[in-house]
Amino acid sequence: MKLVVNERRCKGCNMCTKVCPYGIFQEGKRPGSRGYIIPVLDHPERCTNCRLQKLYGRQLCGMCQMICPDQAISWIDEKPFEPQKVVIEY
Amino acid sequence: MNLEDWYRQDRLPHIYCAGCGNGTILNCTLRAVEELDYKKEETTFISGIGCSSRAAGYTSSDSLHTTHGRALAFATGLKLVKPRQHVIVFTGDGDCSAIGGNHFIHACRRNIDITVICMNNNIYGMTGGQGSPCTPYGAISTTTPYGMQEQPFDLCKVAEAAGANYVARWTSFHVKELTEAIRVGLETPGLSFIEVMTQCPTSFGSKNKMRQVTQMLDMFRDNAVLKAKADRDAAKGILPSPEKFVVGQFVRRNNPPLGVEAAK
Repeated sequence: MKLVVNERRCKGCNMCTKVCPYGIFQEGKRPGSRGYIIPVLDHPERCTNCRLQKLYGRQLCGMCQMICPDQAISWIDEKPFEPQKVVIEY
Repeated sequence: MNLEDWYRQDRLPHIYCAGCGNGTILNCTLRAVEELDYKKEETTFISGIGCSSRAAGYTSSDSLHTTHGRALAFATGLKLVKPRQHVIVFTGDGDCSAIGGNHFIHACRRNIDITVICMNNNIYGMTGGQGSPCTPYGAISTTTPYGMQEQPFDLCKVAEAAGANYVARWTSFHVKELTEAIRVGLETPGLSFIEVMTQCPTSFGSKNKMRQVTQMLDMFRDNAVLKAKADRDAAKGILPSPEKFVVGQFVRRNNPPLGVEAAK
């Protein structure tokens, strides 16, 4: 599963930056397609729900999705063989 | 049915301002409804007039957008005609306490089996930020430029005194607790009243030194006092500070409700 922010719905209120326990949502810098400054995702693979939703068979944390007033945050399945960015941290 | 099916997709994105808490409360309500496995045909959302009352228009089940303050009167009628229907009322603080004040007191007294979710944003948001009966003492609004000189209404105490079966108050920052409270309220027979303190960054926050949405969320987090803590403080004789408010479940009782007996 991967975390996505719907650019068509997000209005850039930054409420998600306040509640994520991992600090995945960071305030964005550049405006999106509708002119709102969309939050950027910092290492979204750390998200509990992305990693463990399938294993537990239920939604885990989900605070960002619940507090998002514009229903912009959701989790979607990756396509088969989707290229993934690998970051090696030293 | 999953959560996304409860939203009316052709109306989204909604017209609320950026950072308005009403969308959060809509999320929590629909999550609670989805957890209880209600069917779309058996659920009706009713609302009055105001920012909060637009929420009923964003749900995919049946909804009624009624006249100002009279959402509870329409809900009473619907519940008595169709007792099997799950009736949920979205209302605002101006809608519920000022213009529909008498309807609210008498709906609590009759103890009709409906769930009332009052989105208290301390102000009349849609018409430009006039002071409402729930504006805190000293707060600045369009009609109170030198600070509010009247004491605010405590809607939870009114509902409790008037005889509602379930009364709770949470804020739009406490999403998990709010979802749980709405779920318990839907399960409780009789009138369930859930007051939700929500932020209005456009009309309330910008005039009261909380220009950013995140500042308003910080205010909710810092000023909300759990009921158990408030009771302990009261037992010790510590007076509550004026900017704090109590959150939690205030009452849950089993008085005979109206609108349930007819279903048999």
